[in-house]
Amino acid sequence: MVALSAEHQLRIDPTGAPRATVVIVPPLFEEANRTRRTLVLAMRALAADGFAAVLPDLPGQNESLVPLADVDLERWQDALVEVVATIDGPAIVASVRGGALIDHRVKAAAWWRLAPTGGASLLRTLLRARVTADRESGVTSSLESLQAAAQSEVLLLAGNALSPAMVAQLSAAEAQPVEPLRSIGVGNDGIAGTPLWLRAEPGEDAAMARAVATDIAVWSKTCGIS
Amino acid sequence: MTEPAHEASGVDAALRALLADVLGLGEARAAALTEDSGLFGELPEFDSMAVATVLTEMEDRLGIVIDDDEVDGEIFETYGNLLAFSLRKVAD
Repeated sequence: MVALSAEHQLRIDPTGAPRATVVIVPPLFEEANRTRRTLVLAMRALAADGFAAVLPDLPGQNESLVPLADVDLERWQDALVEVVATIDGPAIVASVRGGALIDHRVKAAAWWRLAPTGGASLLRTLLRARVTADRESGVTSSLESLQAAAQSEVLLLAGNALSPAMVAQLSAAEAQPVEPLRSIGVGNDGIAGTPLWLRAEPGEDAAMARAVATDIAVWSKTCGIS
Repeated sequence: MTEPAHEASGVDAALRALLADVLGLGEARAAALTEDSGLFGELPEFDSMAVATVLTEMEDRLGIVIDDDEVDGEIFETYGNLLAFSLRKVAD
């Protein structure tokens, strides 16, 4: 196993000693790319408000040299445990979408989750993208045939090489209970903004990034962290 | 179900909002979609990943389950086809 220190992380520090460190657990697969810019804007806003903000690369994602086919949700959970263990002072874990499926084993002072989703729904979308692309190229496949194949071979889904373990874990993964947790959606009764993780083409939303940073800062205070 | 007109307009609004979210259309472009507006193959943003995302979001937001053998190219040809399919699924 490649040591975690081999993975990069983006870290934005405040001027002076941080009030606490916010570890952003990004969405999984393509959703991470669609949201990255807005999440980094939120990190800048957090740093301006006195927090350190860290966005780690998960093994097999972003700039990681680990092949995606070698990782699964358990390995991502282990990787996050190590990331948070290296942090001085209180850590607030802020997970977005599928990030909420891998954030529960870390030792954190508080958790914050934006639009958490189940693994089955993420997997279904990836399988469907493959079925649609297959149909366009005259190949017949179905969710069932792909899932059967995934029991014994690496499956290439929308550019993601997923191992049998990854597919099996995703199909069953739900966000696990943690304490203290604030879970919030997007829209009228949540963070004002649009679900950028669904967007076919990359976008950014600076107002949403500020709203994310403010909500995390308020939650940090509520939890008595700072 | 007692107010089919409301039902239909609710599905129409949900579908437009969903396409706006997935395709980044903006409210004006989403509102301007007509029955004949082309989708897959016509809107450059509408690729196979977008089709997959739209299907999963339709399931979540409309409370339906879509079997993949119900999905053929025709559904995504025009906005009218997609709306008709959604209304049929919601009524089931």
